[in-house]
Amino acid sequence: MESLVISSFIKDYPASVVIVNSEMQIIDHSKLWLKELQNTNQSSIGLPLYELINYTSEEFSKCCEECLQGGEITKVIQKLNNPGVNTQWLEWTISPWKEYPGKNNGLIIVKNDITETKRKEELLLKAKSIARIGGWEVDLVANTVHWTQVTKEIHEVPMDYIPNLEEGINFYKEGADRNKITNLVSDAIKDGVPWDTELRIITGKGKELWVRAKGEVEIINNKVVRLYGTFQDIDEKKRVELKYEEVSDRLLIATKVASIGIWDYNIVENTLVWDDNMYALYALKKEDFSGVVEAWESTVHPEDIKPTQEILELAIKGEIEFNTEFRVVWPNGEVRYIKAIAHVIRDSKGEAIKMIGANWDFSKDKMAEKKLKNLLDITSEQNNSLMNFAHIVSHNLRSHSSNLSMLTGFFVEEKDNDEKDRLTKMLCEASESLEETVQHLTEVVQVKTDAIDKMRPVNLYKSIKGVEKNLVVLLKEKNTICKIDVGKNLQINAIPAYIDSILLNLFTNSLKYSSPERSLAIKISAESIGQYTIVTFSDNGLGIDLKRHGDKIFGMYKTFHKHEDAKGIGLFITKNQIESMNGKIEVDSQVDKGTEFQLFFEAIND
Amino acid sequence: MKKLNDVCVIDDDHIFIYGIKRLMKEANFGDDILVYENGKEALNGLRLHSETGKKLPSIIFLDLNMPIMNGWEFLEDLCKINASELDDTVVYIISSSVDPRDLVRIKDYPIVKDYILKPVTANDLEVIQKEKVA
Repeated sequence: MESLVISSFIKDYPASVVIVNSEMQIIDHSKLWLKELQNTNQSSIGLPLYELINYTSEEFSKCCEECLQGGEITKVIQKLNNPGVNTQWLEWTISPWKEYPGKNNGLIIVKNDITETKRKEELLLKAKSIARIGGWEVDLVANTVHWTQVTKEIHEVPMDYIPNLEEGINFYKEGADRNKITNLVSDAIKDGVPWDTELRIITGKGKELWVRAKGEVEIINNKVVRLYGTFQDIDEKKRVELKYEEVSDRLLIATKVASIGIWDYNIVENTLVWDDNMYALYALKKEDFSGVVEAWESTVHPEDIKPTQEILELAIKGEIEFNTEFRVVWPNGEVRYIKAIAHVIRDSKGEAIKMIGANWDFSKDKMAEKKLKNLLDITSEQNNSLMNFAHIVSHNLRSHSSNLSMLTGFFVEEKDNDEKDRLTKMLCEASESLEETVQHLTEVVQVKTDAIDKMRPVNLYKSIKGVEKNLVVLLKEKNTICKIDVGKNLQINAIPAYIDSILLNLFTNSLKYSSPERSLAIKISAESIGQYTIVTFSDNGLGIDLKRHGDKIFGMYKTFHKHEDAKGIGLFITKNQIESMNGKIEVDSQVDKGTEFQLFFEAIND
Repeated sequence: MKKLNDVCVIDDDHIFIYGIKRLMKEANFGDDILVYENGKEALNGLRLHSETGKKLPSIIFLDLNMPIMNGWEFLEDLCKINASELDDTVVYIISSSVDPRDLVRIKDYPIVKDYILKPVTANDLEVIQKEKVA
């Protein structure tokens, strides 16, 4: 009965159990045993174990033999390389049973599939080996040190190397590294503080290597009895990291010195990050803004926001490179020019995921460029006007000289005395004209060469009055009404002689081209706007058809009226004189209504 | 040689007018010469000429630099006249200007036959006469 109970108990045992006699014949087994080994429901009782399973190892049989001979409980791990199936690990627990004390009557064998555990263990080992993580242990009581295989590999010492604590520490690089580990270890022993640090060792073969050393402490009765931890080769990673740090340090210094701002736009998450230089470029305080986009939009010149955003979108689409410029308005109102370039980073599908860009202030370059362009404009304008001038000079001199040569030719051949007299008269006229032209040219050249440093404050009212006085007879002749609405103390920065010449010219023009149908009215007023004092000089004379002559009114030798004194030189000189004083002249006119000139002079602001 | 009676001179320089008249007389151009002091006068004069049923002059000597309406403006307006009336008309520019831009600009006006640099000579007129008669 008892035997039956035991037998039934073994059958239902939730493990693979088999019981054999001293002949290794099966006398009982669990159901699981049968299922796993034979995969049949037939009982295998009475059969020799080795007949039933043919894959047991030599070690297994040896253990069974020893156990039957009076040995103790033994464990055997067996690795099964089944073809076509994954490696299987079996753990056999062999334990003797006896009916009476003394002789062993048989064995109880428990089979345990430990493949899963074993695989995990293997993987861990492999991982440790790949990650080059070794282990170590210091038993402070027994004063022994144990290193795992990988730890030894990292130290480049033979596998039979037996370390001790002092030697272990001496592998660390002399100086800061060794001092640090010494302190950490002694702190750990003294106060039980664990550590995790990155230091350099010099291996057994003399190679310098970065390692990560982690240490834990085991405390019993307030006393540190054991230190253990891991030891990892992080040389490659560390060197890359250090290299990166070095590069980024260098970059940081470079961008800081060059005031280059770096921004980083995560397109997927729609987040934008600025470095400190960016805020400096925009003259903003980081803490004043909740987001970078808000900061950017608050500072960029309103006209430049949209175009820049459009370029950004096109760059993200991959249609263009992001390489642009825009203006920012600093909180103090100063306008600065920002150059911006960026690179779009894409994933394997070509989707833009990130954008990294740089900003820098190139206002100086921009100003220089503007100045250069301005200079170029002035130069080409001057060149142009010089060329025109040369042609005008050539034309005028030529027309007189050709008349003179033609007249002398006739004169030589002329027999008739009356005709000779006529020719003489014309010769005189031609030579007078020539002299007058030369006189004009001298005046023009003088304007061009007169130095700007002759400029000084000029009382405008006094100048106007002076010129008016000189022309009093002519003005009276035409019943002129002069209305001078200029402050008596108003001063402008100018060359006094030019002011007189300009006013004289405008007055005489008004006189020359006054309407025969009404008495002449001249109005002069002045007002200061910004850097200029603007003098308005208007009359009610014949006027000029500006649609037709507008571009030529200030040209040399351009006359628009049939008038005996029309020389076409006055306004040309006036314009040159005003421009040489950093001013400008504008005209508005209507035929038979009158003409209004606006003269811009350098203002004197108190 | 056949006389060219229908000649027009447009120039504001009366010394030049005197000179060219005298040269034309010597070259047998005839004395019936229309003279205008600027482009505007010339246009008005020629319009009147045409309205009274007379043919437009076959040769126009045109100065460029004149007050009120210069030679270029005159040419612009002249080209607006009915083309058939101008069939027999050629323009000679007579100017003191050696500005190359002027020489380029005359190419825009097919009616301009040549550009004569002042002073004009008897020889110039002889060439013109031959061209016209031939």
